[in-house]
Amino acid sequence: MTGAAFRVFAMGAMLGAAVFLLAPLAIIAAASFSPTPVFDLPVGGASLRWYAAVGSLDGFWPALTLSLEIALLSTAVSLVLGTLAGIAIARGAMPGAQSFAAALTSPLMMPGLVLGIALLQFFRSVGLTQAWPSLALAHVVVTLPFVARTMIAALSRFDFTLLDAARTLGSSFPAALVRVMAPALAPAYLTAGLFAFLASMDNYPVSIFLTDARTKTLPIKMLQYIEESPDPSIAALSTLILLATLALLLVADRAVGLHRLAGLAE
Amino acid sequence: MTMAPQTLAKAGEAAIPRRERRAALTLALPALIVLVFLYALPLARLLSLSFLGDAGFSLEAYGRILGDAYGRSLVWNSLRLGLITTAITLVVGYPAAFGLAMSKGALRSLFLASLFLPLAASVIAKAFAWTILLRSHGAVNDALLLLHITDKPIRMIFTQTSLIVGAANIFLPFMVLPIYAVVAQIDPRLTEAAATLGAPPLSAFLRVVVPLSLPGVVAGVALVFSLSVSAYVVPTLLMGENYQTLASAIAKAFLLVRDPALGSAAGAILMAIGLVVVVASNRLGRASGGR
Amino acid sequence: MGRSLEQDLTKVEIAPAHVAVTGLSKRFGASTVLDSIDLAVAPGALVTLLGPSGCGKTTLLRLIAGLATPDRGKVSIAGVDVTRTPPHKRNVGVVFQNYALFPHLSVAGNVGFGLKGRGLAKDVIAAKVARALDLVQMGLFRDRPVTALSGGQQQRVALARALAVEPNVLLFDEALSALDRNLRETMQVELRRLLKNLGVTALFVTHDQDEALTMSDRIAVMNAGRIEQYADPQFVYARPVTLFTMRFVGICSELRGEVDDRSEGRVRVDTAIGPIVAVGEHQIGAKVVVATRPEHVAIGPAGSAPSVGEVNAVEGRIRQIIFHGSRARIAVDLGDEADFRVEVGGASRIPAVGEAVRLTWPAARSFAYPDPGPLP
Repeated sequence: MTGAAFRVFAMGAMLGAAVFLLAPLAIIAAASFSPTPVFDLPVGGASLRWYAAVGSLDGFWPALTLSLEIALLSTAVSLVLGTLAGIAIARGAMPGAQSFAAALTSPLMMPGLVLGIALLQFFRSVGLTQAWPSLALAHVVVTLPFVARTMIAALSRFDFTLLDAARTLGSSFPAALVRVMAPALAPAYLTAGLFAFLASMDNYPVSIFLTDARTKTLPIKMLQYIEESPDPSIAALSTLILLATLALLLVADRAVGLHRLAGLAE
Repeated sequence: MTMAPQTLAKAGEAAIPRRERRAALTLALPALIVLVFLYALPLARLLSLSFLGDAGFSLEAYGRILGDAYGRSLVWNSLRLGLITTAITLVVGYPAAFGLAMSKGALRSLFLASLFLPLAASVIAKAFAWTILLRSHGAVNDALLLLHITDKPIRMIFTQTSLIVGAANIFLPFMVLPIYAVVAQIDPRLTEAAATLGAPPLSAFLRVVVPLSLPGVVAGVALVFSLSVSAYVVPTLLMGENYQTLASAIAKAFLLVRDPALGSAAGAILMAIGLVVVVASNRLGRASGGR
Repeated sequence: MGRSLEQDLTKVEIAPAHVAVTGLSKRFGASTVLDSIDLAVAPGALVTLLGPSGCGKTTLLRLIAGLATPDRGKVSIAGVDVTRTPPHKRNVGVVFQNYALFPHLSVAGNVGFGLKGRGLAKDVIAAKVARALDLVQMGLFRDRPVTALSGGQQQRVALARALAVEPNVLLFDEALSALDRNLRETMQVELRRLLKNLGVTALFVTHDQDEALTMSDRIAVMNAGRIEQYADPQFVYARPVTLFTMRFVGICSELRGEVDDRSEGRVRVDTAIGPIVAVGEHQIGAKVVVATRPEHVAIGPAGSAPSVGEVNAVEGRIRQIIFHGSRARIAVDLGDEADFRVEVGGASRIPAVGEAVRLTWPAARSFAYPDPGPLP
């Protein structure tokens, strides 16, 4: 196989994969315009009623708010923790840095379901029964590996002598971190934050065990909708989420470049 | 001439002052605390609970899963789903990652969007969309009829075919992105060097590029396998009760039937699988040249 | 010296060329990177392509290696037309700037890479690898991972790897530029000695004129896609054909003016500081730049005699002295914003800054070139 033939084959594979990946999204978007209360393609005319109905879905706003709160909080906490840990590892001064880095990213490969029941039982055993704090803590564990993976990669490429230079020019160490390192790491923060946020917003396996009847995150609510009354409002909701993510991706592409996002997501 | 490399490395290590080491540990401490108290400890506890019977240490829960044909089928179904999904996503995803690395500009952005966007769409909505695509009068059957591959619609819903297709669809980005991240960083000069040394293009690819892509493959395989072996939503929505996995047993045990010991045992087995994946991917990743 | 300009501008070699390039052109988009290049390299010769970044030297090297295809022209190696031959069939060895060592293979694995898949027996390969490593004195590092090596060591391995396949010609793409200064100078000498012993034909690409002068049998000075001069180092230094070459290889002092008289091989140029006689063939009225190398200028106490015949003389004041140990560089202010650079031996009597001095040099050491216009 020559170089040119391989190129065609590889790009064809990617093209096929892209179509394969986008097909269900297209279906979801199409189904959101269905004129009938059946989650199906809009045969017979399009309707926007399901978009209007999204807002009045039972328990939708509390679920959305909860998911956003948890996602933002856990992402923020993970960004801080992950950056600090990343500095410790990248500086090379920490004993067992390699193992620590591996441990930090291992939750990605641990089945979320397992983590969910483990946390459920653990929280119960220490007397933590409220849903909100349980979810918040659990989502830190969910988001931390995404952040750690990205930040460790980015920090290992960061030139730490820049901090020394800033300090000789009069900045204290924390001030140097803010004025010199934060801007250099901005793309990594964006990537890490994006992945962490999405991971939290879409998380099902951990959250299902920690929610209760009154406190449900959006994905849990969506499963409930599907099981109870699978009408196209779910499609409308999903399409709205997709559009919001598309907007986020456009911003990320302008700011950093999508390929950098993917390259950092090692 | 110059010092041997090992001597240089050892000299470097001993030179880290204790103050810097303490500072590093302080920075790492918060993350370490999270890891220990919100991750390692709960998991260890889960493991220990799985060995708990009515009268102390007991393998009873494991017996109920592994000793029973039904229980074993749960394990086997989970593993099967994991293996087949991983295999398919690897076969499709490996060349796709290269295609992505070779693309530029708007096409590359399009490809990347096609990988990122599905991550934001809920698994639930996507699985539902597949039921539409795969039903008797759905798009896939229509296409097959149009291309004369079949002459009447194939029943695909609620079959293992739909499960595999749906799982592959949902987990494909997790295979492509890690491989892409590694492949994109392979120095193009290396294939040029191979060519100047007399290797024809295919040989250069197999002898230089493929070995260097392995850390990405290890990462992708590990991620997809652990995600698909423990998948709950996909099998439930696409096959309902017809495909029981460890994941569905766990969900039932904790959410419906209240059988914590069984759930913990099933969870422990999944955790064991997860640990094997973590350790193996670490070893293989390091051996193949990854960081 | 006794060689005429024409002999050097003709690129045809008397002996059959080992590497020959004729009419080679390459464009990238709208810009012409190589403009109809002709070059012939004799077997066993060490030739340097010297020029600033963007002059096309790397492109030329890559075209010879087969890593790029020309728009027009021909490349032949060992008498065979390889213009359409892919790189893996050309049997050229390339040493890259960043070495391009395969990180997943050991030193031995790298060096033996080109030998595998040629149907050679394992012990034959091992022997060739050992020999190549010995040539670069890296025999002890046989089984090391290449990622643990220093820059200089990696460079040697890259060289051994290229040598192991016994190529027709070795191409070095700025291969020494990543090394630190001392190591680079050592490597230049060692490399030349090694290549000469092996009788290998080699082409170097560099922007470092010292490296070119040290290592080459011949230098091809390149500028904006063209070869300005192709000759041995001494000739290029002492008899630069163009102002670009004069400026790029070594330093010089320049005086602008107009030709107001000419005779056999000489022109008299009316400059801001008086008449200067230089080597040249320009018409009267032509605008020229007269360039002189600093080591040919003698410095003495101020007098009043103007230039006479074959000796140029100007007066000025010492502006700056930079002591370099074995020599000293002196900048002399000649008035009218004209500046002259003089180089004297470090042990000679060096005048003080501000002192009035008289500079003299033979007309045969000044060259008049067409004035290219004001510097951008």
